[in-house]
Amino acid sequence: MKIAVCIKQVPSTNEVHMDPVTNTIIRDGKQSVTNPFDTYALEQAVQIKDHLGGEVIALSMGIPATERLLRDATSRGADRSLLLSDRSFAGADTLATSYTLSLGIRELGGVDLILCGKMAVDGDTAQIGPELAEQLGLPHVTDVLAIDAIDEQTVLCRKATDNGYQRLKVTLPALLTVVKDLNMPRMSSLPGILYSLDSPFESKTAADLSADPARIGLNGSPTQVVRTYVPQRIREAIVLEGDESQLAEDILNIYSEVI
Amino acid sequence: MDLNLIKPMHDDYTDYLRDESRAIGQADSISFPKNEYEVASLLKTLYAQGTPITVQGARTGLAAGAVPRGGHILNLSKMDHIKGIRQSADGHFHITVEAGTILSQLRKRIEQKKFDTADWTNESQQAFEAFKDEPALFFSPDPTESSATIGGMVACNASGARSYLYGPTRDHISGLRVVLHDGQIAALKRGDYTASGRTLSFPTLQGNQITVDLPTYIMPKTKNASGYYIEDHMDAVDLFIGSDGTLGIVTEVELRLQPLPQTVWGITCFFSEEAAALDFVISARDTMNQLASVEYFDGHALDILRYQKKHNPGFSKLPILPDHVNTAIYVELHCQEETDAVEGLKTIGQLLEKAGANPNDTWVARNESDRDRLLFFRHAVPESVNMVIDQRKKTNPMITKLGTDMSVPDQHLKQIMAMYHRMLAERNLESAIWGHVGNNHLHVNILPRDDEDYKKGKALYDEWAAEVTRLGGAVSAEHGVGKLKAKYLEVMYGQEAIEEMARLKQYFDPKGLLGAGNMIEPVKGEVSQ
Repeated sequence: MKIAVCIKQVPSTNEVHMDPVTNTIIRDGKQSVTNPFDTYALEQAVQIKDHLGGEVIALSMGIPATERLLRDATSRGADRSLLLSDRSFAGADTLATSYTLSLGIRELGGVDLILCGKMAVDGDTAQIGPELAEQLGLPHVTDVLAIDAIDEQTVLCRKATDNGYQRLKVTLPALLTVVKDLNMPRMSSLPGILYSLDSPFESKTAADLSADPARIGLNGSPTQVVRTYVPQRIREAIVLEGDESQLAEDILNIYSEVI
Repeated sequence: MDLNLIKPMHDDYTDYLRDESRAIGQADSISFPKNEYEVASLLKTLYAQGTPITVQGARTGLAAGAVPRGGHILNLSKMDHIKGIRQSADGHFHITVEAGTILSQLRKRIEQKKFDTADWTNESQQAFEAFKDEPALFFSPDPTESSATIGGMVACNASGARSYLYGPTRDHISGLRVVLHDGQIAALKRGDYTASGRTLSFPTLQGNQITVDLPTYIMPKTKNASGYYIEDHMDAVDLFIGSDGTLGIVTEVELRLQPLPQTVWGITCFFSEEAAALDFVISARDTMNQLASVEYFDGHALDILRYQKKHNPGFSKLPILPDHVNTAIYVELHCQEETDAVEGLKTIGQLLEKAGANPNDTWVARNESDRDRLLFFRHAVPESVNMVIDQRKKTNPMITKLGTDMSVPDQHLKQIMAMYHRMLAERNLESAIWGHVGNNHLHVNILPRDDEDYKKGKALYDEWAAEVTRLGGAVSAEHGVGKLKAKYLEVMYGQEAIEEMARLKQYFDPKGLLGAGNMIEPVKGEVSQ
């Protein structure tokens, strides 16, 4: 079975840095990590490969530094990786990104199964998985919390709902987005790391993919972010000292300021 | 002095009667001085009254050094100011902190290069500007409890996993200020006052000269935190490091920082045979220079983790342990370049194969989230053991964990491991062993099931202290002696050395009130476990 896992580079800290002009997240590759939800997708893909044989390909659209995270995926069981990287991809919203990723899947010659994390922890849209499936004309299931059975033709999975789960059988090829705790992502092994250093890695540009310039990057993004900001932390602890009357006065002053 | 500083003990202060060793003491009064002047005033007053004084930091110690034996508790937790930075002629940066500064908070400030510099001298502020331009620096000692205070770490010469490469706290202290029993203060910078042979002399700020003949004993050539540090031509700073608050009160510490390695990779290696694990350790430390720590976990420790992962939701995030393994070795590579770490990894792979282990049975952590997973795994071992003990304590309050802290020279590693396993099996005692195998420094933890087990465990502890001494080792390698290990000091050094230590202490503490019960075994004990 040929499985593609979509991987996104996200900032490792909660405080992201925004470009004040484009209102998009500045991604400089420093301190970035694999989107945590994607690590569960990767683990599931590797478990399916261990069960059915085949190959796992890690796929990402991102800056050149994303190669580090794709090679990390190959240290945890992926066989090879494909990076879609081009300045013209910058500023893409979910529509442009899913279009670009669909070109990546076609570049791979099609796959039997695509696994994505349910969402990225920086954008929180949860749109890429469904949109990618639509771009490719594939069936998809979101919020998968377990895969009960899989063979070359179908997958039987459980989709989390507000009240429990639905059990769904889907014909392959298909796309699933997974929630966390679907499995326990493995640590890299020593041979895995050594393999990843020389593992097959390809990087493709917009031209390589024959991408439509009107459908990629900012040009292909109808979404306009008007303003994004990091909320200011306003909690503060103050230690008051003094005698009782002083303390009472201080507390009263603080209340007056706040109310 | 503001007499309000001395507060009579009441229920609000019960926590201050114990530390992480779980020993419980008693006291009549407590104080939380805010500066050195208050410490000196308190000391003068209390000493004149003949009140025993126990110094406390965050009470994370494991040898009951901070557990009071009557008298007064001098708690330094409110003295937590970072007072300045200087750059020495050799380019190193040194940070001066008050003794109550918490390690984790200090680390954060160093990492973020953020300090409140309003009260700093001009020189400090200038050095801080240079410090900000410097590549990342760090203070390496890493005791398990990062909530320890710097003063507490100095008191017991704390170590941690990374002391395999960087050495214990002692190696990173470049100065101290110490309040002596009569309120005089010694400001000691490393290199300023060294002993002539075994006679040490240094001045106080009040203009007096302290001159003392040091004991004659020879310390073991192994990782050691037992007894006063004594060497020919030693530095005055070293006398107070590891002295368990028995010679004076350390109020201020100057720490020397060093460059933070750019690449830190952690590797947990699993083995089906302990012999293979020990072969791997011995060959790795002989051939590799990137190793910052070399840690060990025996099969019982791994079984406890397997149980916790299955039955305790708090541990469900532990990575899945391979079924067929019974020993784990954790090594950490510290390198400036990633290529060096890759070379280190390749060497580890070769050494694992040579030892008969499978390189696939490894967990490699190269980023923070994976390192956190491995750290969680390592910390889960002592935490799980404490939970087992707490559970048993509910039915039998007498039961407490018996944990050793002994080290031996390199050539005796296999011998000492074989001895631990054999004697534990002979006495049918439940146990878990882990620790700093790179320094042949294992924590053997006996988990008594009943009073009988507890007694057998205590007896075993005594036998091991004697055997470790015979092999040229130390009875306490990192936790310090405190109260719980005081009786083993005599086993290790002999009666004559203990008398010399007592004489040294008497010079600095004529009434025997400082850190009463620490290190020098008292005539009658009041601290109970």
